[in-house]
Amino acid sequence: MKVLIRPFLSGFLAILIVGASSSTVEARTWTSTDGKSLKALFLGIEGDNYKFKLQNGNEITVPKDRFIKADQEAAERLNRIGDDSFTKASSRRIDALLAQNLKENGFSSFNDPLPDDLFVRRVYLDILGRIPTREEFLEFAESARPDKREALIDELLLSPGYASHLFNYFADMYRLHASDFINGVRMDPYIQWWRDSLRENKPYHQIVSELITAEGNVGQNPAAGFLLRDTGMEFDAFANFGQVMLGIDISCAQCHDHPFDEWTQGDFYEMAAFFGNTQRSLGYRPSSAMMGGAFVQMPNAPDGWRDQFMKWAENTKGIVPRDQNSNRFRFFVNALGWNLADNETLETVLPHDFIGSGGKPNEVANPRTLIGDAAKKGGKTRREAISDWLIDPANPRFSLVIANRMWDRAFGRPLVGPVNDFSDDMIRGASQPEVLKFVTSEMRRVNYDLREFMRILYNTRAYQSISTADEPDWADDYFFQGPVLRRMRAEQAWDSMMVLAHGADIDNKRGADGSYYKKVLNIDFNTASNDDVWRHYEMWNGTYAGRMANAVISEGSDTPSFITDTELRASELPQPAPAASMLDTFGQSDRQITDEHNYDGSVPQVLALMNGNITQQLTGISSKVVDDLEEFDGPDDKVRGVFFTLLNRFPSDDELKLGMSMIEDYGDNGISDLAWALMNSPEFLFIQ
Amino acid sequence: MTHIAELAGKDPLSRRYFMEMSAKLTLGVGLSVPFLPRNLPAQEGGTAKNLIYIYLSGGMTHLDTFDPKRGDVMGNTEVINTNVDNMKMGMHLTELAKQADKLAVINSMFSTNGAHEQGQYIMRTGYEKRATIVHPTVGPWAATLLGESGKVLPDSVVIGRSTSNAGFMEPRLSPLPIADPAGGVPNTDLIVEGDRFTRRMEMAQKLGQQFTEKFKYTGPESYVEYYNQANKLLKSDELSAFDISGENATEYGTTRLGQGCLLARRLVENGVRVVEVISGGWDMHVDVATGTASKLPELDKAVAALLKDLESHGLLDTTLVAIGTEFGRTPDINMNSGRDHYPAAYSCVLAGGGIKGGTVYGSTDGSGKKVKSDPVKPEDFLATIGYGLGLPLDQTVYSPTQRPFTFADKGKPVTKLFG
Repeated sequence: MKVLIRPFLSGFLAILIVGASSSTVEARTWTSTDGKSLKALFLGIEGDNYKFKLQNGNEITVPKDRFIKADQEAAERLNRIGDDSFTKASSRRIDALLAQNLKENGFSSFNDPLPDDLFVRRVYLDILGRIPTREEFLEFAESARPDKREALIDELLLSPGYASHLFNYFADMYRLHASDFINGVRMDPYIQWWRDSLRENKPYHQIVSELITAEGNVGQNPAAGFLLRDTGMEFDAFANFGQVMLGIDISCAQCHDHPFDEWTQGDFYEMAAFFGNTQRSLGYRPSSAMMGGAFVQMPNAPDGWRDQFMKWAENTKGIVPRDQNSNRFRFFVNALGWNLADNETLETVLPHDFIGSGGKPNEVANPRTLIGDAAKKGGKTRREAISDWLIDPANPRFSLVIANRMWDRAFGRPLVGPVNDFSDDMIRGASQPEVLKFVTSEMRRVNYDLREFMRILYNTRAYQSISTADEPDWADDYFFQGPVLRRMRAEQAWDSMMVLAHGADIDNKRGADGSYYKKVLNIDFNTASNDDVWRHYEMWNGTYAGRMANAVISEGSDTPSFITDTELRASELPQPAPAASMLDTFGQSDRQITDEHNYDGSVPQVLALMNGNITQQLTGISSKVVDDLEEFDGPDDKVRGVFFTLLNRFPSDDELKLGMSMIEDYGDNGISDLAWALMNSPEFLFIQ
Repeated sequence: MTHIAELAGKDPLSRRYFMEMSAKLTLGVGLSVPFLPRNLPAQEGGTAKNLIYIYLSGGMTHLDTFDPKRGDVMGNTEVINTNVDNMKMGMHLTELAKQADKLAVINSMFSTNGAHEQGQYIMRTGYEKRATIVHPTVGPWAATLLGESGKVLPDSVVIGRSTSNAGFMEPRLSPLPIADPAGGVPNTDLIVEGDRFTRRMEMAQKLGQQFTEKFKYTGPESYVEYYNQANKLLKSDELSAFDISGENATEYGTTRLGQGCLLARRLVENGVRVVEVISGGWDMHVDVATGTASKLPELDKAVAALLKDLESHGLLDTTLVAIGTEFGRTPDINMNSGRDHYPAAYSCVLAGGGIKGGTVYGSTDGSGKKVKSDPVKPEDFLATIGYGLGLPLDQTVYSPTQRPFTFADKGKPVTKLFG
């Protein structure tokens, strides 16, 4: 059992959250079968009892069966995701701040509340990353439970689809790319590490800290993939660090002082110096200017390990150096060598053509941060120091950046933006400064639990409003009277098609997880014998020939199996999806630079929707969509069924009439035509 | 990226622009909205209107093709004469040897990128590959610097790739990718035909109307236009520009490269400005003699046919033909009888489009190992192409993140090749 109580919490009544006017936390009211009520914070289920915290701080347990059925259902849910008293207090606080701003700017209130049908489609797309099935839609539409919205939000946040959809967002932001960047090194274990981290709802600051301080190769420590990703482009890697972690694009300060911001070229290198003794590669000195040191040994292995192993392989296994037939062996040894360590002999050196302020050409840069003091102390490595500095609550940007990004995910528009490049002046000039401040502090309060943070946003009245009908100009302030209309991400479109083709089980289907590759590379060089390492080479060699990426292996087994199924959710497919795939056509990022997903339409895209295989598979006469309508009798119900399945809403009278006439005139062909038409109407691709 | 442009208030797809420009759609990847001033100073030298850029992915061996030497470094390759006195070629280029008077061969290319991806990146964009920005290829650059055509056919096409992008420029400027030159534009075969198709389109339009009336956003409206455009294209003659089945392919050869060159000619003829034809299989680490015996006749036939065909169609003067690759291959033949990557010296070729034929520019030493005279970097080669197309090489274009870029990263065009 998991009891989810925020760490700082002691009492619970009248907790001051943050902001000009305070908001109180009101505990849920629990009702007993004999009509009594209890206002208390739910702590969890213990055996046949519920555990509560009372207003006075005392904890009590009450037998389950004393409560009415609705409360028992709520208890089951809250036991998995945590009490929602604080969640709702935060949601209300956000609504109050937004409502006040709306009034001050001439709006009477939020947009109209979302009707149930639009609500269910939107939360499935936003939380699960796909449209609901007709069954899921009807279950919600027909439910009379008063708490059905908050219950659905919680259920969706707890389901595997939530992590899958969030993965797509981070895959774009962190540029997750599976294929080899040099000599057969792959990122599959690192990519799987992201899937796992999000599935277990690892706090975001912990994710970041693990990424920054990782050592070893992607087999020993998959998180190492983050810094190995840009081997040979260390300064670009640092610029990406700035964009992703601090929300500022400092790449221009690599070559000269930043023209618009306070960053000088010297600042860039001094901060980059926190990664200056990070060694990324095997036993030769990389050409990058980041590495000022001399020859370096292979990280995380005894000195000379690599040379002796290669010599041993030559003498005992007949490996001929430089022979084409030895390529696989050489790639294997290289892949082992691509691993991270801290090496005190390495320094960051300013470039020979340094022209900015704060340094001289070829000077050694000492680690320094612009704000605060993260310089090495207390026995920390440089990377530990910058990681601690970054996630420290006193860091003014880290929490803000991730809170603002998550806000953007919910509302289709950030509080300050663009999310990966905004100055301090833009923070000060944000249209909703109090909301920005509040959600930033909430991100810290929930201890970077992104699921809990999203739970707050999805429970706001602002989020549960109809999308704003007129496109707001990006140059103008926006007051969040509701979310803006958004096109589905490529992954949402694909995952929706997958659920139409295969049903809701698609959420549980897994693709290749990099496990075999991880096993091959996971060697402790200090203890492994040459024969041990050779056995790993045999595993590598045996599954080479391009199949490595989809090889998976279960615990305790040495024989891999191969995943060839491509009818999977986007997050379970190779990253990114292959060129010219549906995902690529709909704008999935190619993962070369951060936040590169695009939402534009195109003629090739609509041609794929009109004539592509997937459309035929989904709307053809023997498709699941058309087949499943068998259970409906009259043409009117069949038309409703198509609408429920594809658009998750009731048809209007006109639409119903049009659909019925199609069925009357053309029978099953008419249904197929109607399904095709709905998939090819702009409504299908947009989240309203 | 679009996001950034929008937030910076510089979104060319704002509603107002959209309403003004929505009629001008291209098959490219989006709305055709000119957003840069068009009154540019005329560029000297460049008379080409179109570009066909044949890119040999993997690294074409320079010794066995356009920079042959004597002695051991040649392996099995013999040297042949061409119809130009001072130009020699490897023995497999018999057809091109007859048209050497159309070619300007650069034998002094050198690069610092010994890896395929980085090498190809700079040869196609003019910029070093970075992890913080993606640079556009020639097509999007030309559309930005010279203006978009606004035709049904796209401004640029890449043949032999199933994906493309416009780098930091608007996604709608992305070249249309044609993976298989014989396959044409993907998804142009209708699922249902005739009246039934019309019925479907009408129904989709009717059902979508309520939605597009409810939400006044450029997104859904642009989709309505894309559907109209796709519908128009499916019924149009322009689509046939992508269909090479009616052409006699014998001259070009039935290889991918041959068919790619044939399609490129058809596209140029129909007004597509920039066509890249990408050919794979040039990475000959093992048994270079067999590799060249298979690939070089393919190249020889395809390019020779293309030059002849362009000439007979009256297109050679206005079409710049370029052959590029990421690096050469080692003069020393390795223990697998192959040649490895060799960025220190390699060859590229230009023809047509104002190029002075029969020219050999630059040279290497006696073994093809070092550039001896007139070195040309990848960005210089791209600048030469840009010069040929009349692109203003010094015009700054800003990325959405406000970083300044010029075509080919300040490379120096080899203007001597023109005239």
